[in-house]
Amino acid sequence: MTLPSLFDYREVVGQNVVEELTILASYVGNRSIKMVNSTAVGGGVAEMLHRVVPLLNELGVQTNWEVIKGEADFFDITKSFHNALQGKPEHFRKETFDTYLHYNELNYKDMTFDEDLVVIHDPQPAALIHWNQNRGNKWVWRCHIDLSHPNEQLWQFLRSYIDQYDAAIFSSPLFSPQLAIPQYQFYPTIDPLADKNRDLSPDYIDSVLEKYEIPADKPLVTQISRYDPWKDPVGVIQAFKMARKYVDCRLLLVGDKAADDPEGERILQMVKAAAGNDPDIHIIYLTKSIASEINAFQRASNIVLQKSLREGFALTVSEALWKRRPVIGSAVGGIPAQIIHGYTGVLVHSVEGASLQIRSLLNQPDFAARLGDNGHQRVKDQFLITQNLKRYLLLLLAIERPDETTIFLD
Amino acid sequence: MGDLFQFSSSASLGKLTGRRAYNLEELLQLIKTCPDSSIFYHTFSTFRKMREVQVPFNNDFAIWISQNLAEEALPEKLTAIELAEHNTISSLRERIVAIIENHKQENPQVFDRTAAKPFYLCDVVRIVYLTDKFAYNLKSFRESLNSISVDSIYFHFIESRLYTQLQTDDFSRWIEESLGMPELAAKIRNIDIHIFTLEGLRRKLTALIDSYT
Repeated sequence: MTLPSLFDYREVVGQNVVEELTILASYVGNRSIKMVNSTAVGGGVAEMLHRVVPLLNELGVQTNWEVIKGEADFFDITKSFHNALQGKPEHFRKETFDTYLHYNELNYKDMTFDEDLVVIHDPQPAALIHWNQNRGNKWVWRCHIDLSHPNEQLWQFLRSYIDQYDAAIFSSPLFSPQLAIPQYQFYPTIDPLADKNRDLSPDYIDSVLEKYEIPADKPLVTQISRYDPWKDPVGVIQAFKMARKYVDCRLLLVGDKAADDPEGERILQMVKAAAGNDPDIHIIYLTKSIASEINAFQRASNIVLQKSLREGFALTVSEALWKRRPVIGSAVGGIPAQIIHGYTGVLVHSVEGASLQIRSLLNQPDFAARLGDNGHQRVKDQFLITQNLKRYLLLLLAIERPDETTIFLD
Repeated sequence: MGDLFQFSSSASLGKLTGRRAYNLEELLQLIKTCPDSSIFYHTFSTFRKMREVQVPFNNDFAIWISQNLAEEALPEKLTAIELAEHNTISSLRERIVAIIENHKQENPQVFDRTAAKPFYLCDVVRIVYLTDKFAYNLKSFRESLNSISVDSIYFHFIESRLYTQLQTDDFSRWIEESLGMPELAAKIRNIDIHIFTLEGLRRKLTALIDSYT
């Protein structure tokens, strides 16, 4: 399938939004960007770069993307870095840091960094800057993970490299540490024209429900998340069972098998035990999810839940809001940035709260529809890929004038 | 024919500061000591975002106090600040500080409360730029209104007074000074922005102009 062009986004976000992107791009001129991360496929960062890089090029910003290379020992180390930066206790040996630096140095020797702006994504390639001390361009570290409670030993090690950057970018103030360099905020975004979010025909939605044997006879309440204790799938079942005493409905739980999640099978068994033989609870465990089917599940739902106990940004919320679904979300991680309680969805703090909101929204379809409409507008304003493009254009303009708070272009 | 009106627009890039407040005293200190651009972010930028989903609060200070300190009167007072009456950030900052300090005199117990979730002080870089849209009379102005972005409407109707230091929006000023239509200008100037989303404001402006053509 041909990737959508910038032109195609006019239908979704409005012609004037795309026009203003092209105007901003004209002020950016012939500046260039290099994106660097650690994987070409899999994960949200690669997914985002696959779309953002061609669209920035279409806007006239020469953007290229390089993936660093490494053997299994390097990626084992960076996986442990990822977990430790999100708070997992672990002690690292000097040899581990040396191996990490060795691979960064090998990659440095293999790459060029001639672009005006170099954006290094996440910790894996963060030390590349060490060998670029005499650079004439700008380097920014884009951190996609929650750094609010990092492993102190690891953070002290990485911090010595991060401090050498011209700026850092975080997804939310909740996730950022105190740094001496400027920090910018880039919300994660969704692509409204991707298979996971584009419009679907009612026939296709019906066919997906049929394929998974989900009758369309009752309102559908859905949570789409992997089977992970932090997503609280058992709590979702409890909330559903409490609500169903008062409103007739079905529950749909959809999760896929994550390669790096050995706990998935065990949690799935707990979920099945909690569901019992209830014919109104549908538990789907996908080896590999198909984006258009996830899209169909969301569009077929009367309510979408994201009852997590701990979260990153939880873009599943924006995906559902974009489809004008009323969303019940826990007040954790990035969810409150997307849900303004009572206006663009509802926030809950407990199983009981989730249960009450299921009853409330199924009994007040007009209110639920208003939440969905407002949620769609909020996503349109803040969480679409076009906003991400705009932020990169603004960053190119702003990073060259770090001391100015208002920049007049003429 | 009057002077040409070239539509501008503005965009913001949010910044993080790492500074936080857990109670009203700490919030007050942040408000007193932060850069003007942080005040702008938590008031004007929030107003821009919240209008579109019709949230009653129009600034981040009010939202945080209401959601985290079990306090309703103070957020109401802060929300009642009319941003359009302030053409400098320093006057807006003074007003916010005065409201919080007055509230402290009347309700000192509120200052003893500690929030579980902190207020995160943010900052912003504003980028103001010219668009390729022009108006040279009321007819072309009316036509351009349909095609400019809501960011452009917001800029000319709300934000630009911080740069012009005037007590009025760009649209009514141009219509009065360049087109010589003071009556229409007065009606535009009196539009209550708190009632409308920016798309609603576009429709209101269009309807007002249509009633004069």
